[in-house]
Amino acid sequence: MIESVLVPLDESEMASRALRHALESYPDASVTVLHVVGEPSSMMGQATGLALADDLEAEAEKYAADTLDKAREIAAEYDQEIETTVGIGHPARAILNRAGDFDIVVMGTHGGSFSDRLLVGNVAERVFRRSPVPVTLIR
Amino acid sequence: MLSLALGLGIFVSIFVGFNIGGSSTGIAWGPAVGAGLIRKTTAAAVMTFFVFLGGWTVGRNVMDTLSGEIITIPITLEAGVAVLFFIGLGILLANIFGVPVPTSMTTVGAIAGLGLATGTLNFRTIGWIVSWWLVTPIIGFWIGAFVGRYLYPELNRRFAIETSEGPLVSVSREGLKPSFGLGPNTTSREFFSTVLVLLIGFYMSFSAGASNVPNAVAPLVSGGAIETNTAIIIATVAIGFGGFTIARRTMESVGSELSDIPLLAALIVMITASTITTALSAMGIPISLVMATVMTIVGLGWGRATRPIAARQLIRGETDAEISMGALTAETEERPEIGETEPDAVLKAGRLFNARATAKYISMWIIGPTVSLVLAYVFFLVLPGLV
Repeated sequence: MIESVLVPLDESEMASRALRHALESYPDASVTVLHVVGEPSSMMGQATGLALADDLEAEAEKYAADTLDKAREIAAEYDQEIETTVGIGHPARAILNRAGDFDIVVMGTHGGSFSDRLLVGNVAERVFRRSPVPVTLIR
Repeated sequence: MLSLALGLGIFVSIFVGFNIGGSSTGIAWGPAVGAGLIRKTTAAAVMTFFVFLGGWTVGRNVMDTLSGEIITIPITLEAGVAVLFFIGLGILLANIFGVPVPTSMTTVGAIAGLGLATGTLNFRTIGWIVSWWLVTPIIGFWIGAFVGRYLYPELNRRFAIETSEGPLVSVSREGLKPSFGLGPNTTSREFFSTVLVLLIGFYMSFSAGASNVPNAVAPLVSGGAIETNTAIIIATVAIGFGGFTIARRTMESVGSELSDIPLLAALIVMITASTITTALSAMGIPISLVMATVMTIVGLGWGRATRPIAARQLIRGETDAEISMGALTAETEERPEIGETEPDAVLKAGRLFNARATAKYISMWIIGPTVSLVLAYVFFLVLPGLV
C-alpha cells in the first residue's frame, strides 16, 4: 500500500504530467511536491543569489513560490491537498536525499533544455538508478 | 571600390558585432534595467557611446594584437572573411547551447587556427595570451570569494540600494534658470546609489568596447582592407545595433541571471570584471568580459556559501549545526559576525556550489574557441590558396 508519494517538480510540462499521474493513481496517499532551486547554471546566478541572501530558506521559498503555486492549482483540480517542500543545489541529489522518506517517487523523464541535460545530466535517470524506493517515470 | 569579398567581410563583421552587442549589453545593463533604474532603449544608447569610447582608446591595443601579433603575416581579405565566419559560427554555437559567449577567446582561436594551418603562428604571443586566460579566471574567482566571504555582509549593511516611487530628480522651471532637486520620494542615499549604478554601467560598457570592438573587425584590419578608425566605427555601429535589438532579450536571459543576484553584489561583480577586462585590454591581451564576470559571480557565491562557522561557537556547543566533514574543513577562522546567521543555512548553502557541476558549466567556454580553432585550421589546410 502506497501511503506517501514524492513528486519532484520543475517548470516542465512533463513534470506536471507526473504530478497528475500521482494524484490520479494514489488518491489516498499523501503527495509531497519537491521543487529544487539554485541549481547550477551557466552564470550561477540563482545559486549565488541564494548564497548571498541573509535568510537562505526564505529566499529559496521565494524562488520556488510560482512553481509550487501551480502544483497546488493542479492538486485542487483533483480535490486534493499536497505537501510542498523546497530543495537547493543539484536537483538529483536534492531528490535522492529525500526519497528514502517516501514509498515511491513519481517524476517526469526530463525537463530543461538540451544543454541543461548535457551538463547537469538527466536527473530522472540518476534518481531512477540510485533511489532507495521504487520510481515511476512519466513520459 | 567595394569588392564582393569586402562586402561579405563587413557583413560577417556586423553579424559578429551584433551578437557581441546583444550579450555585452545584457551583462552591462541587465542589473540596472532589472532594478528599473534605466529604460532598455536608454541603456542601449549609452552602451553604444561607451563602447565606442572603449574601442577608440584602450581597444586599439587589443586590435594591434589580434591584427598583427598572433600570426606573423598580415591576414589577407579572403582569409579575414573566413576567420570572421568562424568567429560567427563559434558565437552561434555557444548561443544555441545557451552558454555565455567568450567572444575574445573565439576570435583568438580562429586566428590561431589560420596561423597553425599556415605555419605562421606566433607561439610566444599565443602562449602569453593563453597564460593570461588561465590566470584571469582565478583572479576573478578569488576577488569574488574574498569579498563574498569577508566583506559582503558589512557592505550590504552600509550600502542598501533602494528605489522609491516617482521620478529620481525633479526639475523646477519657476525661476529664470531651471533648478534641479531630488524627486518627491528620493532620499539622498537613493540618489547616490542610482548614480553609482549608472557610473558602473558606463564603466562596464567602456570595458566591453575595449575588449570586444576589435573582435568584430580585426581580421579585416590586419590586411589593410579597412582602416582602423573606420573599423572601430563599423564595429561600434554593429554592437549598438545588437544593443538596441537582441539585447532586449539578452537583458532578460543573461541579465536575469545577474538580476537573481542582489544589486549590490551585481555591482561588485561588474566593477571587478570591468577592471580586469580594461587592464588586460590595455596590455593588449584579448580577454572575455563574460569570463571575468562569471568567475567573479561564482567566487562571490562560493565564498559566501562556504563561509566559516566560528570555531569557538562550535567548541562551546553554542550551535546546533550538524557537524559534517565539509563544515569542519570549511571552518578555519573565527568570524564573530557569522553567529548571526543560522549555521544550518551555511551547511546547506555549501550544496549550491557543487564543484563538479560548476566546473562542467565553466568548461563549456572551451567550446567556442576550440570549435573556431579546429574549423579554421582544417579550412585553411584544405584551402591554402586563400592566404
